Amino acid sequence: MSLPTLPTTVVGSYSMPGWLERLKTEYFARRISRQELDEIHDAAVKAAIKDQEVCGLDVVTDGELRRDNLIDYFAERLPGVQTDHTSKKFYYDFYDSVVRGKLPMASLRLADDFRFLSAFTERATKFCVTGPHTLVKRIKDEYYKNEEAFAMDLARVMNMELKELVRAGARYIQIDEPYYSGFPEDLQWGVKVLNTLVDGVDAKIALHVCYGNRYGKPSWAGNYRYLFPTILEANIQQLTLEFARRGGEDLELFKEFPNKFELGVGVIDVKTHEVETPDIVAERIRKALKFVPAERIFILPDCGLLHLPQEVAFAKLRTMVQGAKIVRKELGG
Amino acid sequence: MILHVKHIPARQTALAASVASTLVTACGEGEIQPRVLDNLNVHLDWLQYKTNFREAITLRRAVRGQEILPWIEVGVDLRQVQNDSVRQEFVTALKDATDAAASRKRIYFEPYTAIRSGLIWRFNNLFWQHLPLWESAIGHGFEKALPGGTSDANHPEAVADAVADFWTLLKDLEGHNQLPAEIFALEIGVGTGQRAAAWLDRFRALDRERGTNYYPRIRFLLADYSMPTLNRAMEAVKEHRELASFLAVDALDPFKSLSFLRYKVLSIHLTNVYDNLPTDEIVIRDGKLYFVEARAYVNASAANRICETAGVAPTEFARTVSRLLEVGPQHLLHGNVEQGVSFWRSVWDAIRLEERFVAIQSILDAPLPSGVKPGLLENFVGEGVLNQRFHLSSGALESFLNTVPLLHPRGYLQVQDIFVTRFEDYGKMFRGPGKMDGSIVNWVNGALLAEVGAQAGYDVHFAPFHYREGSRTSTLYTTHRE
Repeated sequence: MSLPTLPTTVVGSYSMPGWLERLKTEYFARRISRQELDEIHDAAVKAAIKDQEVCGLDVVTDGELRRDNLIDYFAERLPGVQTDHTSKKFYYDFYDSVVRGKLPMASLRLADDFRFLSAFTERATKFCVTGPHTLVKRIKDEYYKNEEAFAMDLARVMNMELKELVRAGARYIQIDEPYYSGFPEDLQWGVKVLNTLVDGVDAKIALHVCYGNRYGKPSWAGNYRYLFPTILEANIQQLTLEFARRGGEDLELFKEFPNKFELGVGVIDVKTHEVETPDIVAERIRKALKFVPAERIFILPDCGLLHLPQEVAFAKLRTMVQGAKIVRKELGG
Repeated sequence: MILHVKHIPARQTALAASVASTLVTACGEGEIQPRVLDNLNVHLDWLQYKTNFREAITLRRAVRGQEILPWIEVGVDLRQVQNDSVRQEFVTALKDATDAAASRKRIYFEPYTAIRSGLIWRFNNLFWQHLPLWESAIGHGFEKALPGGTSDANHPEAVADAVADFWTLLKDLEGHNQLPAEIFALEIGVGTGQRAAAWLDRFRALDRERGTNYYPRIRFLLADYSMPTLNRAMEAVKEHRELASFLAVDALDPFKSLSFLRYKVLSIHLTNVYDNLPTDEIVIRDGKLYFVEARAYVNASAANRICETAGVAPTEFARTVSRLLEVGPQHLLHGNVEQGVSFWRSVWDAIRLEERFVAIQSILDAPLPSGVKPGLLENFVGEGVLNQRFHLSSGALESFLNTVPLLHPRGYLQVQDIFVTRFEDYGKMFRGPGKMDGSIVNWVNGALLAEVGAQAGYDVHFAPFHYREGSRTSTLYTTHRE
């Protein structure tokens, strides 16, 4: 499926409706069944796909609306990871998950989600997966006693899953590793684990690194300098970073450390309800173009839209698409 | 009649028993209509605040839409009530409940409205805007009215510990190469400025002692909505003038003025601010929820006395009060400041609130500050609570939600105030509103604040203030919620 210059997409999640938050929490209070919740999720995902299409995105996701947060959807599916208490006061809370033995190789059943996505859109798709480095920071380890070893085994299990996604038709897979920014000292082994995760996976691999979006606020401060030059060893095709909220200073790093990565440029600040204008978006894209050629740029929000009200998320995506169109026109597209 | 006995200090039980006996006797001797008696709930309270907005005997009715419900509540404040007159006042109050003419004994300043929107908050604002005039009239600073005569926030050991914690945070950030070039600290509601001065003194000393050179990087912001207060604080921190900035900020929405500091402030401190922000109240009676509306009034007899003293025609009383709120005490009564302030203090002293309870289906029908997700609050009250009255702490919630976006990812908020940390503790004592000099004071619903904090990504904790024996304040502090 051919994409225009400066293709637009989301980082992954779409706005979580208040009613869905309440229904998810109702499920944990045992007031609705798993089957009912699955049906609700199906309907919500279809609506999220439709919204992205109406906004004019070139590449759509399932909005990650089946997921309670960036960890638990994977933790409860990873073979060998145990969750002692499967109830929550609020759906967004984390489970206390723990690994007590070597992880067996088994499926996470993520391909079903991808098939659902591709069945309900004609657009190009992207599928997002939380990376091993982030998962080991939230899943308690009582077996490996070593984060790198634990993460490496996670990568092996998940590598099989990524290949299953490719067999199901996924051509664009994004790995989310926000915890790199919280633990920059882990980056050396983090990249090794990442390379194991994507080894032999025949799809465009994007790596999303941000400064956190838990509860819609940043978890860490700093800048992306810590990524370089180590990240250049990663076997990925695209690096997706946040620039809207933090400003574009770190774009200089792409000049300082020449590379062949595509750059997913965050041009929408997801931590404010204020909707950018198309001109502001266009200006942010132009700034990125000074450092990376247009054919290697994707246009995205800084991070997931999970915490934004639906009308704000929708408006921001529309604005993003309009901003991209302005620059495309300037480029003669 | 159902008699509810609440908030009675041990030494007042005899008084409570005597008053209860008098009321029961009045009912038994047929002084109350049977129809009223069948629907009557009497609450015997000891109101913690010596000056507040209630009469010794207060009548409250409940409404659903336009319909006045038959249910009647009478509040008896044992602190104010006189044993020899309680019977007559009780009977009169209940007679007033069925007598439309009774309202002519009062001069109302407004129709029934949500408490947070009422006139008393304009008086509260007047106090902070014209603080020096009030203090001059009473002959001492406003902090004298606080228990202990000074703000707990100024306690040297508390300040030293706060500084030490902050220094440790900075050291840790530096260790991770994450210490910002400018270190922002913010105090909202600066009082006399003494705490800010003590904090800066202590921080400078510690920084020098440990050779870290953080002090010159401090950007200390003092924020308040009262210019007289800011001016006073400026004088207090003059030794640190080059590091301090003074900002007119609405405590309800600090982000509006300080959005340029989004995610940049490492420490935010507030003392005795939340207890002085507008709030609403919810009442649970027989398991049903009511939203409290009130209208401010002054008894006609008190108004006449005030008018006589001030030389104001009784027919001009309401208009003069309105003018007081518009232009301040210095422009009243032919510009005689002393008389203007005296008039102001007399009116404030005489102001009472007449309440009514408006039936609501759930807490979600109450006005919640924007940003509060209603879903979690549905279960806040819990099941099986039959009788309770509690604050929504609307202003405190609003302030909290409009403050935390300023916090650096490693930053924290500390709020020293009077918090009700468990919902059930509302039943243990009267929690306001009271009058503190010319301002309003309410306990803050810490339990609700914790729920709202969790929604916003902050775990909210409360630590009792242990630096002064007998202190009822505690310190709210936030940690980032995982």
